[in-house]
Amino acid sequence: MDELQKMKQWQVFKRLLRLMKPHKKTLILAFSILIVATVADLLGPIIIKKFIDDYLTPRHFYTRAITALALMYIVLTMISAAMHYLQVVLFQKTALEIIQTLRIDVFSKVHSLGLKFFDRTPVGGLISRITNDTEAIKDLYVSVLSTFVQNMVFLIGVFAAMFYLNVNLGLFCLVIIPMIAAVMWLYRRYSSRSFFNMREKLSELNAKLNESLQGMAIIQAFNQQKRLKKEFANINQAHNAAWMKNIKYNGLLLRPAVDLIYMFALIMVLSFFGIQSFSNPVEIGVLYAFVNYIERFFEPINTMTQRLSMFQQAIIAAGRVFQLLDETELAPGTKGEGKPEITEGKIEFKNVTFSYDGKQDVLKNISFTANPGETVALVGHTGSGKSSITNLLMRFYDFTQGEIFIDSVPIQNYTNEELRRKMGLVLQDPFIFACDIKKNIRLHNHLITDDEVKEAAAFVQADSFIEELPGGYDHELGERGSTFSSGQRQLLSFARTIVCNPKILILDEATANIDTQTEEAIQTALGKMRAGRTTIAIAHRLSTIQDADQILVLHKGEIVERGTHQELLLKKGLYHKMYLLQHGNEQTADVG
Amino acid sequence: MKVFIDLMWYFKMEWRRYLTGILLLAIVSFCLQVPPKIVGFTVDHINKGTLSKQLLVTYISVLAALALLMYVLRFFWRVMIYGSSTKLALLLRNRLYDHFTNMSPKFYQKRRIGDLMAHSTNDLQAIEMTAGEGILTLVDSLLLGGMTLITMFATISWKLTLISLLPMPMMAWLTSKYGSMLHQQFHKAQEAFSMMNDKVQESISGVRVIKAFGQEEEDVDEFKELSKDVVRKNVKVAKIDALFDPTIFIIVGLSFFLSVAFGSYFVVQGELSIGQVVSFTTYLGLLIWPMLAFGWLFNIVERGRASYDRVSALLKVDESIKEDETGLKIVPSGSIRFQLEHFSYDQTAQSTLENICFELEKGKTLGIVGKTGSGKTTLCKLLLREFEVKNGQIYLDEKDINRFALHSLREAIGYVPQDHFLFSATILENIAFGKYNASFKEIKAAAKAAAIHADIVQFKDGYETMVGERGVTLSGGQKQRISIARALLLDREILILDDSLSAVDARTEERIVENLKEKRKGKTTIITAHRLSSIDHADLIIVLDNGKIIQMGTHETLINEDGWYKDTYNRQALESLISQGG
Repeated sequence: MDELQKMKQWQVFKRLLRLMKPHKKTLILAFSILIVATVADLLGPIIIKKFIDDYLTPRHFYTRAITALALMYIVLTMISAAMHYLQVVLFQKTALEIIQTLRIDVFSKVHSLGLKFFDRTPVGGLISRITNDTEAIKDLYVSVLSTFVQNMVFLIGVFAAMFYLNVNLGLFCLVIIPMIAAVMWLYRRYSSRSFFNMREKLSELNAKLNESLQGMAIIQAFNQQKRLKKEFANINQAHNAAWMKNIKYNGLLLRPAVDLIYMFALIMVLSFFGIQSFSNPVEIGVLYAFVNYIERFFEPINTMTQRLSMFQQAIIAAGRVFQLLDETELAPGTKGEGKPEITEGKIEFKNVTFSYDGKQDVLKNISFTANPGETVALVGHTGSGKSSITNLLMRFYDFTQGEIFIDSVPIQNYTNEELRRKMGLVLQDPFIFACDIKKNIRLHNHLITDDEVKEAAAFVQADSFIEELPGGYDHELGERGSTFSSGQRQLLSFARTIVCNPKILILDEATANIDTQTEEAIQTALGKMRAGRTTIAIAHRLSTIQDADQILVLHKGEIVERGTHQELLLKKGLYHKMYLLQHGNEQTADVG
Repeated sequence: MKVFIDLMWYFKMEWRRYLTGILLLAIVSFCLQVPPKIVGFTVDHINKGTLSKQLLVTYISVLAALALLMYVLRFFWRVMIYGSSTKLALLLRNRLYDHFTNMSPKFYQKRRIGDLMAHSTNDLQAIEMTAGEGILTLVDSLLLGGMTLITMFATISWKLTLISLLPMPMMAWLTSKYGSMLHQQFHKAQEAFSMMNDKVQESISGVRVIKAFGQEEEDVDEFKELSKDVVRKNVKVAKIDALFDPTIFIIVGLSFFLSVAFGSYFVVQGELSIGQVVSFTTYLGLLIWPMLAFGWLFNIVERGRASYDRVSALLKVDESIKEDETGLKIVPSGSIRFQLEHFSYDQTAQSTLENICFELEKGKTLGIVGKTGSGKTTLCKLLLREFEVKNGQIYLDEKDINRFALHSLREAIGYVPQDHFLFSATILENIAFGKYNASFKEIKAAAKAAAIHADIVQFKDGYETMVGERGVTLSGGQKQRISIARALLLDREILILDDSLSAVDARTEERIVENLKEKRKGKTTIITAHRLSSIDHADLIIVLDNGKIIQMGTHETLINEDGWYKDTYNRQALESLISQGG
């Protein structure tokens, strides 16, 4: 199990590395600059060494030579600083661009998925896949990978410089590497484990707190404050203990341990030169340079050890993002050759059976025909399958049994663009975007002119209330259009549909309470919209569909009654009862 | 730095640990002064050829001893200082939790749980950081910086120290300048990020509209623009952020250069030895951290102060239901009398309840019906004393409910709330929530009475099945029935079911109502409902509309009287016929 986990993490990591491929050139450039910067940086102590050994110790003061060395030192420092800056910016920019590409990929992927996927995935999770998880991956590139590359180059450079100055001592110093590796290994083994343990306890603690806050009314009503307080205090204590353990491990294995190794290295260098001085003369400059290198050797190691924990988090986040990218529940696609177009708007359902989950059929053997220009109304109890019919017609879901034809061509043969262009859907919940009115009507379609927007608004009688708004058509709407009444939102969504001039209209009538004045406007608008268009309407209020050419009464996924309003009333069946329910008993007489 | 004064009570409380920690830090800082000296001495002896084996061994031993000593001390100051700071977080967290359990529903109505969570997590973290990292940074930078400066000044050369430190103020100035630039840009980057976040949220919530209009590609284009903006602003941040290291690098390089150049001059003058110059440059290395630390410290303290202010303000809020010290410690029996003139959640708004007067004998069942928002739930909550009644009285056991101790009052009531909230625990623990030591037999009996036993035994783990995110997903009806079992287990004088049968089907409802009649014999039961079938057996039925009683009676009397009850009864009969397919 653990091995499998590791394997998976390795796969994820490799995939993250592959994302860098398109940026190969920039990365190579950044890497080259990094090398220049590091070399310039490491040459500094060598220049000082040269000055000490060649000029200061023997007291040879050639002004020119010394000035040259001084200038060289300053120029090298400048170059190193500038190159470092460039290199960091390049790495960071690349990392940000990689993340941007990843984000766009995930976002596009989400849009290519079928509604089936959205039905079973919570919105919150999806959002954090696209934003927070990718942000965590950014940390991997910015803080982990680039730091590791920079520090590794630096460390290798330090060793190169040490070998250049004194091969023997350089060899001795190689001992540091296994020591550091051992500390890092120990850290990974103990400290990072205790770190995760602590994180786990923390999330347990937060979960408990969150739950208690949500259920506080229950806790108080059941007089359980004392017990819950104790439970919370226990978790709190456990978290604190885990934290303390982590602090102790870090105290043993992080900075203090690295500092200990530093002191060891210093002792080694001093002993080496000390012992050497008993037999041979020692170059003080070399000693100086070694002390300087060793001093700077350990900071990068501290940084790298500390960033190891970030690595793990980023890998977990990346795992989740890749899982979404690999999701296979795609939106239904086009089948068959050619690009048929919808010209008439005739709709035929033939023995359609459909199930969302593959177990329970929500539509059973549905057959009906809507001729061009006709209105077919769907009525029925909640869960009777009305919305499923429109969902299939919009091709939000694929069905497996039976056939749906539009203009006598199977619906699967149409491209999604054609279907969406010719069919206008008015949803029960008119979703309003946080932008201005114009954009809410035309959405992203820039081919629609301002005049067309206004025409559409006038057509559905939304123009009067829009024009009264501050800014009129440029009025900015708040989140979800919360300042509008539900009737106004409904009218806006009508305009949105009508501006596309669809051949077929699919209406999912709102159930919300709407004031009578707006209600009237809505009814007039609906009537105008339906004229000349094939309409499939889901009606909750039977009064709105009395003039439909055909009414289908659904119950548990089946059509149990069909006919016109009058025919159905005379049948005294389900439709009749629904009608009675809505119109109260006082009208029973008229109907009978 | 005001936050350190605010936190003084804690520092005083933990003064031993803090003082020990600081003392250890001071010793470490002192120890750090030694190695550069030894390096200098060694260099001088080598240079003069006076280094003896004995001397070398002494130097090495001193270094080795220091190394070990510092390792141990560094470990212990961490335990002392960080240990104290985590303990502070522990303390405050428990305090907050205690405080939360004392707050009345009014408190929760005004605040979002997300905000309360943020106070308990992020704010506590910032305070912990101040009491740990903050103290450390302050003390360590002062101690180490101070000692190093003194050593350089006193034991090497004050002239060289002044000269080589010339560029250092420049560093402090530049880094603080970058800091404020960064702050601004960072803010913009955050804004861009949250714009992108909003966009994603909207797109995913509105996915049906986008799909219906076939605008997926256009939407992706818009997202591209926003994500580009995020990159653009973050690159700006990166460009400033990347300035720090090179700047420090140049200035430290300059200091080094000055110390080597002037140091050499002093060597030639005979004022200093080469070894002293070498150890001087090493001391310079020790000064970098204290220089940078102040900017860092400022950040920590700033955050800590804001967070501590928020947490203290929260702890100061007193919105508990006031309890009379002399409150009756007896558990009332189940006779209820309402004489409520009016009640509203806040003073300015119109009344939620008005003129509610009725009487219910012990052992009877009360049914409350009416539209959503008619005041049914409020009535139940007043009985639980979740809110204070200002105009009118509610009597339990012929005594004003305000006279009972809150604890005793709630001992009398079993409550099934409208939002059937369950805890992430096993089903068993959820049912036993109010009576944690209940026997399994009792629990099973309660589950059977709530008609949920059969469902529970169907789960693989039976009563040990986990509920919530990490466990099974229960249907609304199952949750309702578990929460009924939870209240039934207590067998209280009064049982309140607040719209708790809405998600169960008609047949199960009938079974539960039958069980209730049986189980609650001789005890008071209050049921609020939409479906009249839940309450048609009640001894008294109240019809609420807009907070007022519009009808009152039994099922038999109400069904024969024109009005809301009769209309609703007929409508619901028809509805149930339709839902069965006519």
